[in-house]
Amino acid sequence: MAVSQEKVTVYNLADLKTTSDDAIPNYLNSLKFRQSHRLTDVRLALGYSALALAAACFAWDYKLGFESTKHLTAAAVVVYTLLNGALTFWLFYVERGTVYVGTAPSGETLRISTATKKNVPTYHVTVEVQPKNGGKKEVLKISRAFTEWFDGAGHFVAAPFQSMLASAVPVVGKLDPKRAAPQESAMPVPAAYTPEMLDVLAKANASVVGSAAEEATGSETPVPKKGGKKRRA
Amino acid sequence: MLSSLQNPRQAAAQLLNFGLILSTAFMTWKGLSVIADSPSPIVVVLSGSMEPAFQRGDLLVLWNRNLFSETNVGEVVVYNVKGKDIPIVHRIVRKFGTGPDAKLLTKGDNNAADDTELYARGQDYLTRKDIVGSVVAYIPFVGYVTIMLSEHPWLKTVMLGLMGLMVVMQRE
Repeated sequence: MAVSQEKVTVYNLADLKTTSDDAIPNYLNSLKFRQSHRLTDVRLALGYSALALAAACFAWDYKLGFESTKHLTAAAVVVYTLLNGALTFWLFYVERGTVYVGTAPSGETLRISTATKKNVPTYHVTVEVQPKNGGKKEVLKISRAFTEWFDGAGHFVAAPFQSMLASAVPVVGKLDPKRAAPQESAMPVPAAYTPEMLDVLAKANASVVGSAAEEATGSETPVPKKGGKKRRA
Repeated sequence: MLSSLQNPRQAAAQLLNFGLILSTAFMTWKGLSVIADSPSPIVVVLSGSMEPAFQRGDLLVLWNRNLFSETNVGEVVVYNVKGKDIPIVHRIVRKFGTGPDAKLLTKGDNNAADDTELYARGQDYLTRKDIVGSVVAYIPFVGYVTIMLSEHPWLKTVMLGLMGLMVVMQRE
């Protein structure tokens, strides 16, 4: 399962980012982190109440006409504007690109937000670690190229992605020492996987997947090889 | 990607994005309605009866409040005729009396005769409440899109479908 069967277009930065974003909860939840959905739930609540209000406004306008409902409609417009404003505020000042909030079994709370800059294939990850006993918040910043965990064909390769997180964030590294960088080296992060290694990993995993799902993915096995060639050229 | 639909929160968020586009457009329209006090604050010219002032496809912005003065002779107004659901854009050419019960007669600049023919059976004039608004601004030609859409209704379905698909696929 280290390589997703799905491919993204490697030129599509939004796809690269969202695929990587989705991998973070997958990975951390597998390490027994307890994910908190509070931020998303508040956003959904704000958004859907605005939507419900607009739907109600549409209904009474359709049934009763404009003249008899215009004061109600005016009130609805004001409330809708407020709800939408609150939603915008929530997105820009509270969520700030947060993709994951979760608590480690040991009690630390992680809040991970990610960002990309237009046309630059670099993944900027900000990890805020809140210690168990309300101590001072620690902020870690990681900026890595997407090429470290996407192969040339656009397959997501989990191992290097996970080791990026595990070696940069001690809380994660403790739970997943296999993926964490060896501590004796002075480098805070492990050497990047070479394209050749990515291809080997991708091929190995693709064949595993292929044997499990037979024809469905069998046709995709040669693709990583082609991608590798393209990159070297 | 479509596989993200497996996660209910993400699916809800994507659906929300699409819903908010539609609802914001609708509420903006309603906001304009409330401000202009008109059930339809923006209309598209469908005929050439007001040429050379307005051509088919021009977008008109309406205002339906009499803040400083009554609706007077010379103003271009949009009105509804009982029993017909298509609003008409013509100029007021005669006015008898004042206040909300003043009798108004309209005529298209490009028409030979006044509008008595267009009014409902037995109706010889308009009153203020028949009027949806006076034209205060216009944008030439922009409204042609809606003429296309209403003359070829399948285009609407295609457009809505494409929009929905894009939102679901792109996640942004």
